[in-house]
Amino acid sequence: MTIRQDPEDSETRALLDFAGDLSGKTVLEIGCGDGRLTFRYAARAARVHAIDPSEKKIAKARRKLPAALQDRVEFWATGIENFFAPEKYDLALLSWSL
Amino acid sequence: MVHALEQIHFLLKEDGRLIDIHPPPEPPPIFVRLGEQRHPVGWVREADDYCEYAQADDALDEVVARGLYRWEKRGRFTFVTHAGSISELQTHLAETWNDAIIDDRVIQRAEELMATVEPDQEVLLHEVIQIARLRVASL
Repeated sequence: MTIRQDPEDSETRALLDFAGDLSGKTVLEIGCGDGRLTFRYAARAARVHAIDPSEKKIAKARRKLPAALQDRVEFWATGIENFFAPEKYDLALLSWSL
Repeated sequence: MVHALEQIHFLLKEDGRLIDIHPPPEPPPIFVRLGEQRHPVGWVREADDYCEYAQADDALDEVVARGLYRWEKRGRFTFVTHAGSISELQTHLAETWNDAIIDDRVIQRAEELMATVEPDQEVLLHEVIQIARLRVASL
């Protein structure tokens, strides 16, 4: 058996409830890790910039990025303190990272 | 943490929102599930006693008190990690939660329960997670 995290999708349901309608919205996700949560909501947003200080995790996130999300999700290996944002965002998401 | 929240405030549009997801400063319980029955076997301890989560709560309270954000909505949900064995859970935690500790007596209790003949069994880590939505407040 492999580890299964939240197969019940409680986190995604809570996030979508709190985020509301993401269509047309730009999202900055801080502490995205390997993109576990990113992949669950990104299709609903216009654009997602996801950052994490771990290069290893970002490399994994890039490898796992589904083709359908490649035009709207970008991953960067950086912490928020060194992130030079290309734009202002509608929503910032701190995913287990504060 | 407060500095990070200040930087995020700068990166958000005037009507932007922040969603924070983090665990509360409380130990999450571990269960062994045998068929339909869940058996509590203990908790995950943390080397620093969850103080980072308490600090995160304090940091959010501080930026709200300073007028950078205002609370819009707060809630909780349960995040369950399913593992095939207690050692599999330990390996997973070693990769994802550096200072998590599972005490030997918890491991022993889980292994004893899983030594039964019930084939439908797994280890469950139940984390109750806080989620909050804040809106950028005009200064």
